[in-house]
Amino acid sequence: MSSASSPVTAPASGRGYAPPGRLGRILSRNGPGYLFLLPWLIGFFGLTLGPALSSLYLSFTDYDLIQAPNWVGLANYVRIATADPKFNAAMHVTFLYVALSVPLKLMFALAVAMAFNRGIAGLPLYRAIFYLPSLLGSSVAIAVLWRQLFAADGLVNGMLAWFGFQGPSWISNPHYSLYTLVVLSVWQFGSPMIIFLAGLRQIPGDLYEAAEIDGASNWRKFWRITLPLLTPVIFFNFVVQTIDAFKAFTPAFIISEGTGGPINSTLFYTLYLYQEAFGFFRMGYASALAWILVIIISLFTAFAFLSSRYWVHYDE
Amino acid sequence: MTDFKLSRRTVLGTSALFAAASALGGMPALAATRLRLLWWGSQERADRTNKTVEAYKKAAPDVSIDGEFLGWNDYWTRLATQVAGRNAPDLIQMDYRYVFEYARRGSLLALDDYLGKSLKIDDFGKDNIDSCRVDGKLYGVNLGVNSSAAFFDIGAWFDAGVPAPSHGMSWQQYFDNCVAFAKANKRKNFYASVDASGIEPSFELWLRQLGKSLYNDQGKLGYTAEDAAAWFQYWTDLRKAGGCVTADIQALDKLSIETSPLTTGYAATGFAHSNQFVGFQKLSKAKLGIAPYPVKPDGKPGHYMKPSMMMSISAATASPDAAVAFVNFMVESTDAAQELGVERGVPASAGMRDVVTPMLDEPGQMVVDYIGKLSDLAGPLPPAPPKGAGEIAFSLQRISQEVAFESSSPAEGGKQLVTEANSILERA
Repeated sequence: MSSASSPVTAPASGRGYAPPGRLGRILSRNGPGYLFLLPWLIGFFGLTLGPALSSLYLSFTDYDLIQAPNWVGLANYVRIATADPKFNAAMHVTFLYVALSVPLKLMFALAVAMAFNRGIAGLPLYRAIFYLPSLLGSSVAIAVLWRQLFAADGLVNGMLAWFGFQGPSWISNPHYSLYTLVVLSVWQFGSPMIIFLAGLRQIPGDLYEAAEIDGASNWRKFWRITLPLLTPVIFFNFVVQTIDAFKAFTPAFIISEGTGGPINSTLFYTLYLYQEAFGFFRMGYASALAWILVIIISLFTAFAFLSSRYWVHYDE
Repeated sequence: MTDFKLSRRTVLGTSALFAAASALGGMPALAATRLRLLWWGSQERADRTNKTVEAYKKAAPDVSIDGEFLGWNDYWTRLATQVAGRNAPDLIQMDYRYVFEYARRGSLLALDDYLGKSLKIDDFGKDNIDSCRVDGKLYGVNLGVNSSAAFFDIGAWFDAGVPAPSHGMSWQQYFDNCVAFAKANKRKNFYASVDASGIEPSFELWLRQLGKSLYNDQGKLGYTAEDAAAWFQYWTDLRKAGGCVTADIQALDKLSIETSPLTTGYAATGFAHSNQFVGFQKLSKAKLGIAPYPVKPDGKPGHYMKPSMMMSISAATASPDAAVAFVNFMVESTDAAQELGVERGVPASAGMRDVVTPMLDEPGQMVVDYIGKLSDLAGPLPPAPPKGAGEIAFSLQRISQEVAFESSSPAEGGKQLVTEANSILERA
């Protein structure tokens, strides 16, 4: 690391304090910047990249928390692919959840945003109120509340009783339990709604005026103007919400108390992963599961981006 | 704009400062010995344990004990993570199911050297000491003796005009009584019994009455698919006859006191461990009674006395002597016995049992009574459960739900349980 070995680089500005080597010069020039970045750098390398890489390594081992990990090659991945009925159950639950909750949530969020966009009195207040569930969304308290609402003698059944229906215990019936979680997810429509609202505000008003002069119906205006111009925002919301839905954990964990029950009906992928890791201490196997989830989410996102050029319209 | 100078000296100086600061945070308080105590259990147990720790402060002012408690499932996660991170608590509440695993991995301190010296538990009796041994060495101290039991709402059974569970009642009688209860009952969503088909200790008792077991001493399954199918069939018939709670109500039971249908007001009878009677009564508005399980026609009871839990000491503790002294205080001092009562089970120490019994409240008395009467009927302790047993208990619960929600028949459920259990044992 001596300056002599790099004749091309002229000695720097000649300031007395500059340390000799190239690294030293870079440090003295950019040091403060790196210093300010340090918290993020430590966080990224220490808490994200480091553990991620070690989990990649562990996914090829039989690590069980107590004993040192032994290399088992692809055994974990092979078992997941060929001999794990719970993996299949978890995939089924997770894909069903994503397929139902993401479109429903986006439609609901868009509908509310359109209603707000018509200009109502006290919009900031309503906007804040409707956004609130998103802030509370993944909290334990809301999941507990949900459990109460949909219990055998909960509020929902109390309301159904007025109409003469005797509802089941929704959250502990395998036919309905996942759908209560979908409803919970749709109810947290706040953040896509805010983004939709911002997107709607961007659409120039003169387009609508022109359409009105041409005699277009509201429906036509929605299909021909609103939706195409909103596609970048829809795309963004779709990607973010899909990733979120794949990673959903808290509601299922709280409502089924960690079991994924009844009969694996709420066994989200992340919940299964958690059970394997922290319930049965198969850290190696759980790491392999985690990496498969990473691959699935990456594929989905890549697919969304590739398809976007066919349906997302940017102004420019 | 002034240049920001980052000199070698600044960097070194700053990092030294950080290092010093973090070292300070980790430094133990001077002089005093600090011990960490970890247990699982309800709020009731926490209150009693914390009072015991308070009482110990008077006996040993230079020892401070930091207690922490969790629910059963979270507990084992926390403990495993802490042991793996070489940060194990000094005092570890231990269960019969896990003591073999932890002891054989060398995570627990063998207590034989302290026996008769700072650990004076000779009045436990041989059985109550041997039940905490692994491969001949003592790895825990019995915190209380318990056995499985049926708890029931005395008033509800009385109002129904049907005999409540009692000693010597057969499974068939229990069945008929539950059905009769349903006919007399007027409360909505209320049934005579929980559905115990997914409750492992109940299944175990049923098997023992057949002369079988959950696991044999080679760590293999001790029952067949037909045995399990018969078990599922009994509860399916009872469910169809309206004698036990419906499938969706039973699915709310997470095998804790708080979520049992007996506590939440859906059932008049539940099955649990005798020491939990105190906790159940605390949460129940109704007055509860306690009885042994129903029996087979030949009347063979399946009960056995087990350490409801034990106190173990981490092999990595810095102060084994202080830890042993506290354990001895828990099980052999009047002060602790007063606070702990029988919430962790009836004290194994004959002396403490005599101290505790007269000052117990009524539920406590009933537990001591129950265990006293049962001790003649109790059989031997089953062999240690093999690795993977905890996962199989989850499978039993899930398959019982499949049968209850009618996505499989009792016979299919029985087959499935045996297949799944065997594959878990193979993998573990």
